[in-house]
Amino acid sequence: MEVLLGNLSRMQVARIGTEQIVAYYRQLFGLDRPFYIQYLLFFRNVFLRGLDFGPSFMAYPDTARELIFHQLPWTLGLFTSAMLISWLLGTVVGVFMGWLRRHKLTTLVTGMMVLLQATPNYLFGLLLIIYVGYKLQWLPAYGPYDSGLPPAFTWVFIHSLLLHMVLPMLSLVLVLGAGWAISMRSLMISVLGEDYLLYAKARGLMPFAILKDYAFRNAMLPQLAALAITLGTTLTGTYIIEVIFHVPGLGSLFILALGFRDYNVLQGIVIFSIFAVLTASLIIDLILPLLDPRIRGFNE
Amino acid sequence: MSNAKLISGISLLSLLLIIAITGPEISKAMFPNVNPLEQGAYRQYEPPSIQHPLGTDAGGLDAFALLLNSIWPSMLIGLLAGVIATILGVIVGFTAGYIGKNVDTALRIFTDMVLVFPVLPLFLILGTYLAHWDLFKLSLLLGVFGWPFTARVIRAQVLSLRERPYIDLVKLSGENTFEIIFLELLPGLLPYVGFSLAMGTVGAMFTEAGLQLIGLGAQNLSTLGAMIGHGFSRGVISLGMYGQIVAPVGILILLFLSLYLIDMGLEEVFNPRLRTKIDVK
Repeated sequence: MEVLLGNLSRMQVARIGTEQIVAYYRQLFGLDRPFYIQYLLFFRNVFLRGLDFGPSFMAYPDTARELIFHQLPWTLGLFTSAMLISWLLGTVVGVFMGWLRRHKLTTLVTGMMVLLQATPNYLFGLLLIIYVGYKLQWLPAYGPYDSGLPPAFTWVFIHSLLLHMVLPMLSLVLVLGAGWAISMRSLMISVLGEDYLLYAKARGLMPFAILKDYAFRNAMLPQLAALAITLGTTLTGTYIIEVIFHVPGLGSLFILALGFRDYNVLQGIVIFSIFAVLTASLIIDLILPLLDPRIRGFNE
Repeated sequence: MSNAKLISGISLLSLLLIIAITGPEISKAMFPNVNPLEQGAYRQYEPPSIQHPLGTDAGGLDAFALLLNSIWPSMLIGLLAGVIATILGVIVGFTAGYIGKNVDTALRIFTDMVLVFPVLPLFLILGTYLAHWDLFKLSLLLGVFGWPFTARVIRAQVLSLRERPYIDLVKLSGENTFEIIFLELLPGLLPYVGFSLAMGTVGAMFTEAGLQLIGLGAQNLSTLGAMIGHGFSRGVISLGMYGQIVAPVGILILLFLSLYLIDMGLEEVFNPRLRTKIDVK
C-alpha cells in the first residue's frame, strides 16, 4: 500500500503551503524516511504501542485510531446484527426447506431464495432505496439518523436511528439469509440421505424428534463453521451498503481516506479487517468441539 | 440430462447473451439518424416517452440505447476475469494436488493467503488508479485475485482422482505424465472447471458493479454497473426516472441468477445427494 500511495501527502500539503510547510509536515508524519522504514515503524507502532496507527493526514491532529474507533461501532453493529439475524432466520427456513422438500410451496420458496441469493446485496439495497425510500416514502433511505437531531439517549433519537437502519439491515439480512437458507437446505438433504435416518424412522421415532435430534444436529455443524468464515471474510461486504445508505462506518471512512490518500487510516482499516477474519476463525475453532464430539480430544 | 436448474440457467444465459450481442444493432435501428450514445445527443433528463423508453440521462444520452450497449461489456469483463481465474486456479490446484508433498504445502499456504486477502479494500485502492484502465486490464486484475477458490476445489479433486485404480492401470500401460494429465485426469474435472468458471464470472461482475456503484470503477467503460453508478450519483432517483436504474439492475440480477442456476445444476451433477429426487421417506 505504501508503494502504491507513495508520498502523496506532499501533494496535499503543497496545495495550501510552501516548501517549508511541506518539509515540516513530512518530518512530522515521518514521511521523509525511506518507505520500508516507514512500513516497519508502522507495524512496530501497531503491535507494540497499542494499535497506534499514527496521525491521520486528513484530520490532523486526530489520530487514525480515533477515527477508526469512532466509526467502528456502526460497521460492527450493522454487520454483526445483520449476520446473526440472517443466520438464525436462514437456518430455520433452510431446515424446513430441506425437510419439506417435496411440498409444492417449498419449491416456490426455494425459487425465491435462489433469486434473492443471486442478487448482490448492494443492488437489492438500491432497489429498496428506490421503491421503499423514494416511491412509497415509507422509510428514510439516507443517513444514519435525522440530520437535525443531536445524538443522545432520547426516545426521539433512538426511534429515528432505528427507522434509518431498517433499509440497510433489510438489504443485508434478506440477501444473506437466503444464502444461509439455501446452504442449510443442501446440508439437510445430504443428511436426510444417511442410513441412520432410515434406521431412526424404522425404530418408529416421531418425525419431529428425527428432525430435531438426528437431522438438524448433524446438518448444523458445517453451517456453523460457515458462519465463522463468513463473519470474518465479508466484513468488507457491508462497505458498499454503508456508502449507498450514507452510514458513517468503516466503509465510508475508507472511501474518504482514499480521496485524501490518508494511508495511516487505510492501513488501519485493512489490519482491522484481517483481525476480524482471524478472530472469527479462532472463536469458531474453540466453539466447534463443544458441539461436535468427534472433534474433541485430538490426541490419538 | 434432466437437470432443471442447469437447463434453465443455460437458457436464461443464452437469452441474455443474444440480447447483449444484438443490443448495439437494435439501438442503431431504433435511432437511425443520430448516435444516441454521444454526449449531448438529446436534452438532459428527458422523461420516458415513446421515443426514449427510459428517458435520457445526465449527459443527454438515450438511456435505453445505453442499456443495450452496456450488457456486452459487463458480460465480457466477467467472462474474461472468470476464464483467467479458472486457468490460474486449475494450474495451481493441479500442481498442488498432482505433485503433492512440499509443493502442495507451499501452494496451499499461498492459496490461503490470497483467500483471506481483503479484496474489496484492495480494489478500492486500485480503483483510484483504475480511472483510465481499459476493459482487459481490469478483467486481468479481477481474475488474478479470483483463483484461490478454484485452486482449492481442483486440488481436492486431483488428490482423490490420483489415487484411483484406473490411474495405476494407465501408468502401467505406459502413458506418460502429459497423457495422464490431459487424457485421464482433466476430463474428470470438467464439471468442476465449469462450476469454477461460473463462480469466477459472478465474483468479477460483483466486484466491478460494486466499484462502479460507489464511483470508483473504471470511468471510461460503459458497463451496467457504470450506468447504475452514474444514475445513482447524478440524481436520477430524485427525478423519479427509476427505470434508468431499475432496468440495468434487473438485467444484472438476471445474469447473476442464470450463473447461480448453472452453478447449482453442476453441483447436483457431481454431488448426486443434492438431488431432491432421492428420498428416504
